[in-house]
Amino acid sequence: MHPPRCPMHEMSVALEICRITEARVGRDSLPRVREVGVIVGRQSGLEPDNLLFCLDALLGRPPFAGARTELEVVAGDELSVSYLEVDDGDPPH
Amino acid sequence: MAIRRIEVRERVMERNDTIAGEVRLRLGEHGVPALNLVSSPGSGKTLLLERTLQDLGRELRMAVVTGDVQTQNDADRIARWTDDLVQAVVTGGACHLDALQVSNALEALDLDATDLLFIENVGNLVCPASWDLGEAAKVVLFSVTEGEDKPLKYPKMFREASYAVLTKVDLLPHVPFDLEQAVAYARAINPALTFFRVSSIDGTGLDAWYGFLRELHQSGGSMRWERPTGQGVGAAVDARAGYA
Repeated sequence: MHPPRCPMHEMSVALEICRITEARVGRDSLPRVREVGVIVGRQSGLEPDNLLFCLDALLGRPPFAGARTELEVVAGDELSVSYLEVDDGDPPH
Repeated sequence: MAIRRIEVRERVMERNDTIAGEVRLRLGEHGVPALNLVSSPGSGKTLLLERTLQDLGRELRMAVVTGDVQTQNDADRIARWTDDLVQAVVTGGACHLDALQVSNALEALDLDATDLLFIENVGNLVCPASWDLGEAAKVVLFSVTEGEDKPLKYPKMFREASYAVLTKVDLLPHVPFDLEQAVAYARAINPALTFFRVSSIDGTGLDAWYGFLRELHQSGGSMRWERPTGQGVGAAVDARAGYA
């Protein structure tokens, strides 16, 4: 078992996932993102562990304040951002 | 804390595929077929393009977009053989070309004065398979020095490709390469794959390749090069030089 790495292919996909996330946050004026749900097909040509490693590196920095990635590995070649989990903060007292 | 979940359901390739669709439309409006050449590094993409421009350059106006991680050496090599524009895309580390890079490269091309567009992708049999560039077809090259089982090792690329070019066939007497086995492996992955076998050094098989390019140009990119039916690989090779 090799330790996870961050090859260029997974990194380019991770960057696109971050772009989609940022675009959605901007479009809908979303608050802080806690979690990004990603669906990865086993035939998508990506190594899930490596993709997770790249996403953790990118989502741990601004403009993402330590968002987590939830990776769902499925059959087929799907590759999509399924959901964002956001934190609206404490309600005003 | 008030946590809520927002449904996104967006394909990661969505944006690239949208731009690729725009590129395809634009090329179609100008009747310019584009071939996306993909292979591992060193399979002979650049040399095949050099030879093609040298031999067919007076007949067809061919533009080339090259992609490399670093340097524009390939573009410089190709530009020696054509007065038409050669656009170099240096990806700066990325392992593939994407549709936006091709779209930007098209800005510099006069598509009304172009008969064929070649896109020489970054040498890599993995990543370029996932990125649609708006091409009419992917052409996968693999050389006889690489091993017959390349299609089994990189099935996605061979599934995505419409054409396969076996290169460096002048080396066949010197390397233990089973041509029929290679073709069989590739067709097991993609039965519709059409093969060319060429040597850009001694010219073997280039007539068939050039015939294909002429027909592709005449069809404006809509053609499908049909291989003869009812013939085995060996027979087809004998019947049509350079064609497996």
